[in-house]
Amino acid sequence: MNTLFAIGTGVMFGLGVFQLLRRDLIKSAMGFYILFTAINLLFLAVGAFNGEAPPYVNDQNVTAAQSADPLVQALLLTAIVISFGSYALLLSFIAIASRRFHTVDTDELDYLKG
Amino acid sequence: VIIAAIVATPFLAALLLLSLRVRSAVQGWISAGIIGVLFGVLLAHLSIVQETGPVQFSIPWMPQIGLSFSLLLDGLALLFGLLITGIGAAIHYYAGYYFENEKESRRFLSLLLAFTGSMLLLVIAGNILTLFIAWELTSIISFLLISFKGKKDAKARAGASQALVITGGGGLALLLGLLLLGTAAGSMEWSDILSSGDVLRTHAWYPALLALIAIGCFTKSAQVPLHFWLPDAMSAPTPASGFLHSATMVKAGIYLLLRLSPVLGGDALWTAVLTTFGLITLIVGAALALRQDDLKGALAYSTISQLGALVALIGLPGEIGIKAALVGVLAHALYKAPLFLVVGAVDHATGTRLLSKLGGLRQSMPGFAAVAGISALSMAGVIPLFGFVSKELLLKAIIDTPGFSVALIIVVISAIFSVCMATILFWDVFMGSRRATPDDHHDNQREHPLPHPMVYAPMGLAAASVIFGVGVSPLVTPLLEPAARSKVSLYLIAPYGIDLALVLSTVAIIVGAALFAFRRQWRSLQIPTLFTGAQGYRLAVRGVERVGDVLLRSQGGKIRYYLSGILIGVVALMSTAGVGTLLNSAAPSFALRNAAELLKAVLLVLSITATFASITFKQHLLAALALGVAGYSIGGIFLLEPAPDVALVQFLVETLATVLIIMILTKTSTAEREKVIGVVWDQTRLGIWRDAAIAILVGTGVALFATAAVNSRPTPQAVANWHLQNALPQAGANDVVAAIITDFRGTDTLIEITVFGMAALGVLTLLAKPEIGERARRVFQTPYLLRRIRARVLRLELPEPMSEYSPEQYAGVAVPSASREDSEALMLHDPLPAPPEMPAPTPSLLDALTRVMAVLTLPFALLIALSHLLYAGSAPGDGFTAGVIAGLGVALWYIIYGYTEAKKRLTWLHPVRFIGLGLFIAFTNAVLPLLFGREFLAFTLVQEITLPADIKLASPLIFEIGIFFAVFGGASAIMEAITHPKEVESM
Repeated sequence: MNTLFAIGTGVMFGLGVFQLLRRDLIKSAMGFYILFTAINLLFLAVGAFNGEAPPYVNDQNVTAAQSADPLVQALLLTAIVISFGSYALLLSFIAIASRRFHTVDTDELDYLKG
Repeated sequence: VIIAAIVATPFLAALLLLSLRVRSAVQGWISAGIIGVLFGVLLAHLSIVQETGPVQFSIPWMPQIGLSFSLLLDGLALLFGLLITGIGAAIHYYAGYYFENEKESRRFLSLLLAFTGSMLLLVIAGNILTLFIAWELTSIISFLLISFKGKKDAKARAGASQALVITGGGGLALLLGLLLLGTAAGSMEWSDILSSGDVLRTHAWYPALLALIAIGCFTKSAQVPLHFWLPDAMSAPTPASGFLHSATMVKAGIYLLLRLSPVLGGDALWTAVLTTFGLITLIVGAALALRQDDLKGALAYSTISQLGALVALIGLPGEIGIKAALVGVLAHALYKAPLFLVVGAVDHATGTRLLSKLGGLRQSMPGFAAVAGISALSMAGVIPLFGFVSKELLLKAIIDTPGFSVALIIVVISAIFSVCMATILFWDVFMGSRRATPDDHHDNQREHPLPHPMVYAPMGLAAASVIFGVGVSPLVTPLLEPAARSKVSLYLIAPYGIDLALVLSTVAIIVGAALFAFRRQWRSLQIPTLFTGAQGYRLAVRGVERVGDVLLRSQGGKIRYYLSGILIGVVALMSTAGVGTLLNSAAPSFALRNAAELLKAVLLVLSITATFASITFKQHLLAALALGVAGYSIGGIFLLEPAPDVALVQFLVETLATVLIIMILTKTSTAEREKVIGVVWDQTRLGIWRDAAIAILVGTGVALFATAAVNSRPTPQAVANWHLQNALPQAGANDVVAAIITDFRGTDTLIEITVFGMAALGVLTLLAKPEIGERARRVFQTPYLLRRIRARVLRLELPEPMSEYSPEQYAGVAVPSASREDSEALMLHDPLPAPPEMPAPTPSLLDALTRVMAVLTLPFALLIALSHLLYAGSAPGDGFTAGVIAGLGVALWYIIYGYTEAKKRLTWLHPVRFIGLGLFIAFTNAVLPLLFGREFLAFTLVQEITLPADIKLASPLIFEIGIFFAVFGGASAIMEAITHPKEVESM
């Protein structure tokens, strides 16, 4: 099961990289987002146990059954919000570049080239 | 504490000087006065150190790596400290007169003061790491001083960077050597190192650490073949040369060798290395000095020669070498510094310092002539000056050491050279007749009387040479005894009359004088120059530049190629880790144990398929939607994990992200996107295959890495179990994830919401508010503030600086739909006739029903957010979810009403302030416990107040509220920004 997820991560990552390498900036940004997702999958897969219950304890400090790993979940939670923030920033860069240079083609964006 | 103050004073004085606006001479008095006081304080410590042992001071800095800021004032440090402050006071005084320009002297003197401070720190450092920091400081300040005239003078720049490269490189070697030393001795403190000599000398690292430290000291103290930076450093203003490059900085290497001699010395290797390099430097320096025409160059080479002598002396086995070196350090500083000051004065007065142009200055500069005469005699080692004592000791040390007959010859020959040089320095400058020079007229014009008090500084130092020479036994012995840690008996005239040393030094004086008489003849000889270190340095620099050129050619400027390079590199590293572990791990199992796992697998396949689809879809909108499907599938996987908190956030963020990208699509012109879509899909098959190959490579690498990671988890799940067991007792939360976010990894969360807030502000600045800077500037102007206050009072409407955009203009093309799918479907066909220059702004949707929906949704969203917030610790959902839910409600408003109207109606919504408020709450909550003597982010539960419905009033709740405001503010800021109809000037 875990190996399946590891391979799935690899596939997602490969797809993200392919998308990232497009000349189309918007597609490129989407590639970035796919990479975020792939990393999140990896996080989930390396979690400590294969849980059967959510990581909640009752007032006697006992979990219902074998709980899922809470640490990876906490990391994932923040990672998801952060990735949204960076995605937004990335997209607004693209919007600005598109309006200023009238193109979303990376190969035409050579303004910084010496 | 006093010794800490000694070190700190020069730095503070430098700051003080920078803030004073006084005449340059007064600046000189002030700094010389301060240094003079330090001299007095150090002198007072002499008896303390002698009676009660070294004075120590220590405050821990980074105790984990053995780094503490500790000071140690013992005899050796005291001797050098007195030397630095004594000569320093004279030089600071002199420099005040040397510079006529007030600004220049302020810059120079503050640098010089800082240098004095670093040098004091270097010698008083009680710890090898503190010593290293001071060592590097002297290198850097020396660089600044050498390049002091660098604005106009390219040579000064070149000399300065060369000095920095050489001494900095030596510093690196030294750092390694010191770390080896500290590790071998088991401590970084001098007091421990000095008592572990036996361990160090027999340690396996001894040769390595000796070599590394020697490289450091040799570069600093200008030993052949790394000596060449010193003559090139003579482009520094002369007071700096006189202080740094003769009396202090170059002595840093000597100091360190002296410091280490009781620990590392006595070994055959130590003797071999030090005496070989020292003697070679001694003779090479003395010979090269004679070939110089520039006075400062001559002084520089003679300094190199003297440094060589000192290094050789330290290398000698037995104590006499150390004593001779200590005397040599003092004597050399006392005659070399005044000589430099004289040269500076000569340069100042005549505009040249070339021997071939100077002569007969005794009439115009009698005071300086006297100083030069005394110092030159001391340099030549004539009785009864201090230089004589030093030279006798040098000869005696060499004579008394068996097996150093070659060394004796070298020493005598260089003594002859040195006598000759000293004579030239005095005679050819001050005696004889004035030389006629081609630009004599100009020189006469340049020549001007020097400020009279300038001469007192070198005169004082020259007088010290005489006094120390005549009164050597009562005056110098108490200085030296604590440093040498043994009885020292010094005398001007040996009690046993004439010995070999006296004979040899007399011979040297006579032969040197004879050599001087024939100087015209041998100075005109052309001696071929050998390959020198300087040429090697230039070759190395050129080589580096050429390699840079080659590397530059590989920069194609295409972003995608860089990306591929980076990715392949990363993956290569990752997969090596993976392959190694894979070979050792058990066969991977693909077995699905229960229905949940089967579902997860299905969802995984679904998300991969959707992602793949998003790549193949030509239209951006379709691709974005497919991506959304993939995101929701991932959310489903989270839900099955089971990770309800994460799944919740994933669903919400995915929705927001899909809305975001669709909005961005409306911001970019359709024509451009059509064009690039065409380009991408007409791309050559080869290009696609190449990218696919890279993607497959990267994917395989990551898969390998991930498999390795998954299969090699640590078996006792210490971290996770700890979190499960302590969430309730320590963070008061039933939801372990919430406990981790608000408590166990609370600092992470703090940083994370800060980053998110920053990103949102970034989006806002990019897309919506170009005038933020403009407005801030205007706000802080008083008239605007006054107007604003008056407007507040009178309830006047202020004209909004924002450009008004009229929704009516686009009302005709409004899209009458509200639900996301519908608007997406419409945009699929790109129905908005976008004006060519301006992206289509979001139209306000006029349908009454949709408007009502939006109006109704927001309060409910806020209500749901509130419930998530209050039960963050005991149920799914937390500050993040609450923030995103509320953000979605606001997003609906912006989409339906458009920017202007939403902004007008939602008057309570200030995204930027919310971000600030959230961060303020979160950080205050984290810091507050510190005030009550508890740790950062301590968990506090208020038990006295019971709230209804099982809500716990505790610090995590406040933290969650902070998170909520930051995330809500961020999300709404992003929404506000992407719907903002701002125009961007095109390029």
